[in-house]
Amino acid sequence: METAAHVNRDVPDSVRTGAGAAEAPAPGRGRARSRRVRWRRWAEIALLAGPGVVVFVTFVIVPVFLAGYYGFFEWTGYGIPTEFVGLRNYELILTDDAFLEALSHNGFILVMSLVLQGPLAIGIALLLNRRMRGRSLIRVLIFVPYVLSEVIVAIGFSLMLHPTGAVNDMLDRLGLSGVAADWLADPDIAIWSLMMILVWKYIGFAVILMLAGLQGIPDELREAAAIDGASYWQTQWHITLPLLGPTIRIWAFLSIIGSLQVFDLVFVIWGQYVADTAGTSTMATYMVANGRTSGEYGYGSAVAVVIFLISLVIALVYQRFVLRRDTEGALTEGVA
Amino acid sequence: MTGKYRSRTLGVAGTMAAALVLSACSEAPEASDYKEGDPHTLTVWTNYTGEAGLAWFDSVAQEFESSHDNVTVKAQHIQNEELDGKLQTALNSGDAPDIFLQRGGGKMRDMFEAKQLLDLTGSAVDSPELRDKLGDATYEALTVDGKLLAAPQLVQPGGIWYSKDLFTTAGITEVPTTVDELAAAIDKLKGAGITPIALGGKDAWPAAHWYYFFALRECSADTLEATNQSLDFADPCYEKAAKDVVDLAALEPFNEGFLNTSAQQGASSSAGLLANHKAAMELMGNWEPGVVKDLTPNKQPLPDLGWFPFPQVASGQGDANALMGGKGGFSCSASAPKKLCGEFLAMMNSEKNQESFYTAFGSIPLHVDAQDVVKNEYDKQMIEALNDATYVSDFLDTNYGQKVGTVLNQSVVELLTGATDPAGFVTAITEAADRN
Repeated sequence: METAAHVNRDVPDSVRTGAGAAEAPAPGRGRARSRRVRWRRWAEIALLAGPGVVVFVTFVIVPVFLAGYYGFFEWTGYGIPTEFVGLRNYELILTDDAFLEALSHNGFILVMSLVLQGPLAIGIALLLNRRMRGRSLIRVLIFVPYVLSEVIVAIGFSLMLHPTGAVNDMLDRLGLSGVAADWLADPDIAIWSLMMILVWKYIGFAVILMLAGLQGIPDELREAAAIDGASYWQTQWHITLPLLGPTIRIWAFLSIIGSLQVFDLVFVIWGQYVADTAGTSTMATYMVANGRTSGEYGYGSAVAVVIFLISLVIALVYQRFVLRRDTEGALTEGVA
Repeated sequence: MTGKYRSRTLGVAGTMAAALVLSACSEAPEASDYKEGDPHTLTVWTNYTGEAGLAWFDSVAQEFESSHDNVTVKAQHIQNEELDGKLQTALNSGDAPDIFLQRGGGKMRDMFEAKQLLDLTGSAVDSPELRDKLGDATYEALTVDGKLLAAPQLVQPGGIWYSKDLFTTAGITEVPTTVDELAAAIDKLKGAGITPIALGGKDAWPAAHWYYFFALRECSADTLEATNQSLDFADPCYEKAAKDVVDLAALEPFNEGFLNTSAQQGASSSAGLLANHKAAMELMGNWEPGVVKDLTPNKQPLPDLGWFPFPQVASGQGDANALMGGKGGFSCSASAPKKLCGEFLAMMNSEKNQESFYTAFGSIPLHVDAQDVVKNEYDKQMIEALNDATYVSDFLDTNYGQKVGTVLNQSVVELLTGATDPAGFVTAITEAADRN
């Protein structure tokens, strides 16, 4: 807030917004003036935030409540829902093997994303943080997959990984036809193919985050360690990694949220029918297949609520136990 | 301070949510009080996107406008896959078009139960003369509780499409009429290094077609009809049909990677494989020639494309002449003017317009007097098969409604991959039906 006050120094008091000081009227000001100031502040908030709030409420908050409401009905989507079924939809979801499988796939993606992407991203970031030829080019190349649309990535990989596609053809020509496989339909392999695509697509984002984190570590610390005779690896282990902690924790948080929401890639590559048998279904594809495609909008809404609750619980637990140190620092400083 | 803001915004959100819920729960739309001569804009939603189709519709609309004073026809042509969702929203919001494409089956029943459809009984399209020309059976399929909920427009019989050249290359001289002959043909094709059957398993319904047609041959018409109502799959013929699918898959007749092959998109789709002579057969409805035409290298119709009815199984209870195919039509929304609606639909189905419909869409005409325009050999075969048919079923997923239909389609994919067996298959669809 201190910075905000600095920025607003030349602006009349009445225009200052956001600064805590504006809440309590300074002694000696007239009551009318303070009322006018308050009114004006509200008008400003309404004018500036109003459109955003309306859009947010209409397209995010209201649908969330509506999903909660529809989740108690059996409803085909035509007319108004009339068949109240209480918690039956939830009972069916939580006892449906297909949903539990989808949930386990999300869990697998979540864990493997952290295990595979984390170390890999840190490694690449350390590498790219050193001076070398073509560093910027490599940075860009690593980030490119992240920029591509998921649908484009999915179509590209589904063509390449198809049993008659480029990957098997290349393996064949290299004399490795024994390695060739049905990368997409074989339930033992498909989820690993998905994992590989996810890592390829999202590693760039992780690397950029880690690089930004590395920039924030003062060189003096490393120099001091070097003077004390620390080797390169000792420096990374004892200085870089601990100081990269906040970045890693934030990245892990984003990765977890992303893993719970995986949809586009699976939907485009496997479609909603084959994902189940190939073992790549996720909670979101389950929701679409059993809500929209089956015309069971009540059931689909209940699935949406379950996904929401699972994500919420995981996010809150993570915030409470892992991110607390980082966010506390940031927030308390910001609010004070 | 922030706490206060939050509670207020949430209050606003709550009020708005309540308002939306209430507005969504509006009453069923009132019937129209349109009187002849009143100005009216007749809104029509179709799934026509091709040039020829749009031109056909425009000419019908013009004909209607010129014979009805003060009436304008306003059409919206929506891409096929997007139509249903859009329509559902429009119907629920009470802002539905007067006339719209109807796919029949379970979806039509849902709309009927939500009081969103107009009863067309006694309107111009329900006239005895037109019923006679278009066939009573097609009307019956669109009638629920004695109410005519849609006017028929076309029927899309399914069967096996094949490349005559590839059959000749493999030394097959006669099209298979029994499943054993089909197996022999598959053997010959494989021997000649040709993929026997193209299958777009990714979309599930093309794979499910194989089950539907086996069920059509294994089950008697009475059993199939009874199941449409009861959703009871206890009759052993349903498990036998599942076993037929498994037996067929055991011959490995399908294109490599069929599970990740789509049905209609691009040269690597199943229709594309047929169009490029990479596979010899595909089981499809009669939209196939049109789809194949777009996927041949020169975008011209496949010259050696042939059609034969689904082969008969040994000791099946179904008639070898029973046919299966999609039936399409048009419905009117509950608040549409009945007289105008009936007249418009009747005009769509006049002899002249059914003839031009064939030219525009290549879909065989329902109207018996229009059937002489048919030129293609396979279209003539299909009309013959249709006229000889002892029973015409809609596709099973349409009959059973979306919920059971989706599980059915998915379970057929599982049958093909060996993830389930015929008994497990029947259990899965029975459980889905029991959830109703």
